[in-house]
Amino acid sequence: MGYFEKALLAAAVIGALSGLVGSLVVLRRRTFFAQALTHATFPGAVAATIVGVSIPLGAALASILIVGIMTLIGRVKRQGTQVASGILLTAGFALGVLLQALNPSLPVQVDSYLVGSILTVTTGDLALAVGVLGVAVAVIVLLGKEILFSTFDPSGFRAAGFREWPIELLTLTLITATVVTAMPAVGAILAIALIAAPAAAARLVTRTATQILVLAPVLGAAAGLVGVLLSRAIDVAAGPAIALTAAALFLLALGGRRLSLARLRLTA
Amino acid sequence: MAGASFSYGQSPALADIDFEVRAGEAVALIGPNGSGKSTLLKGILGLIQRVSGTVEVLGASAAPAGSIGYVPQADEIDQQFPVTLEQVVMMGRYRSLGWLRLPGKRDRQAVTHALDAVGLGHRAKTRFGELSGGQQQRGLLARAVAAGPRLLLLDEPFNGLDQQNRDALVGTVKRLKEEGVAVVVSTHDLQLAREVCEQVLLLNGTQVAFGPRESVLILENVQRTFREVGVEIDEHTVVVPGHTGH
Repeated sequence: MGYFEKALLAAAVIGALSGLVGSLVVLRRRTFFAQALTHATFPGAVAATIVGVSIPLGAALASILIVGIMTLIGRVKRQGTQVASGILLTAGFALGVLLQALNPSLPVQVDSYLVGSILTVTTGDLALAVGVLGVAVAVIVLLGKEILFSTFDPSGFRAAGFREWPIELLTLTLITATVVTAMPAVGAILAIALIAAPAAAARLVTRTATQILVLAPVLGAAAGLVGVLLSRAIDVAAGPAIALTAAALFLLALGGRRLSLARLRLTA
Repeated sequence: MAGASFSYGQSPALADIDFEVRAGEAVALIGPNGSGKSTLLKGILGLIQRVSGTVEVLGASAAPAGSIGYVPQADEIDQQFPVTLEQVVMMGRYRSLGWLRLPGKRDRQAVTHALDAVGLGHRAKTRFGELSGGQQQRGLLARAVAAGPRLLLLDEPFNGLDQQNRDALVGTVKRLKEEGVAVVVSTHDLQLAREVCEQVLLLNGTQVAFGPRESVLILENVQRTFREVGVEIDEHTVVVPGHTGH
């Protein structure tokens, strides 16, 4: 497999994964949390390069640390999770920049952490993405009904005799794994576009959560493929091309929905 | 429930509750806002901390899975969530289905039956958020019915309902009682207590009175329950001025 074919495959797999897990992010209203997580992976990746371990490993460790700190700050009275996410988003990013400035001799360019470099993804990165996608699909097929119930009506879910924390832990783990997986391809800053935009677009044009869970991965994969092809055709960086394609899909869905609502009003 | 008290963290919420409800009977929980009606329902469900006393549900200290049907107030629910009425009702089946298993034919039949029972069979595919408040409330009752409960808990089910939705709800609750389901319903609506409930529990942070409807719903008791908001008794209706909401 040539580097371009590998890039296409990685873009499709990571796009599908981001769309699928992004559906959970959008339905559970955790977009800002996911955004903070993507930025927090940045210092983890820089630190991993300095120490010489694998970048996804460093990003994953940083994410776990960040989720822990965020949970603690979220418990402070009258602060809540939004504040916690906001603080860590900027602090994580600043820490990454600082680490990089302190180590000017790093072999990797700063850009590749921030906007990704899908043309240089390794077979290992690709295998990780396929593995995480497989786990995410299995979780959503097997536990989708509990996840949707707890998201829709948490007190009804508890009243029915279920516990909430396994669902919360499971979704946080999936979100973290997705952010870490998407980072080598689309970078810390752009990953959120691929996670939020396809799911938000799917939500606009569907009626049920099940339809979102099917459509969002398709849109995510499409954004990945089109982005990589565009980047070659007009010679721009792949990460931004993927993120802009995802954003364009969202705008298309928004426009489509407006049109169909307007038509409904005309016929009514 | 004997001598039971409940609290949220450090602050006590409800003290000294002593009552029981038998199969096929209904108890109305009546009291002003913040008197502990919802707290009592959550106490029965085991969702809040009990500091003293005992709670036995269906003869056990922990109710068997799926044996309690709970109908929350519809405004506690995410209105924007993309889910159809039918899917909401199916959620009532999840507990007995268990983890990892998908609904089968029997579950779908139970959902259809429950929707027909509340008179919403024709709205099965409608998005939950597009239903009126009263229809949502009936949908949540259908979800509880689909679970095939032996004890049904309703939290203010009649708030802001029009006559048609109200009648549909009353009819469903009466039918369930005939099938041997025990019912506990929190309400402001004394008329409802008269229509559906044999027993009344008056609450005001603590238990004011419990017993057969006729002997409990007397002026003195009602005044003690609603002491801060004032009470008028006008033939058979007790009106509590300026008293709306939960």
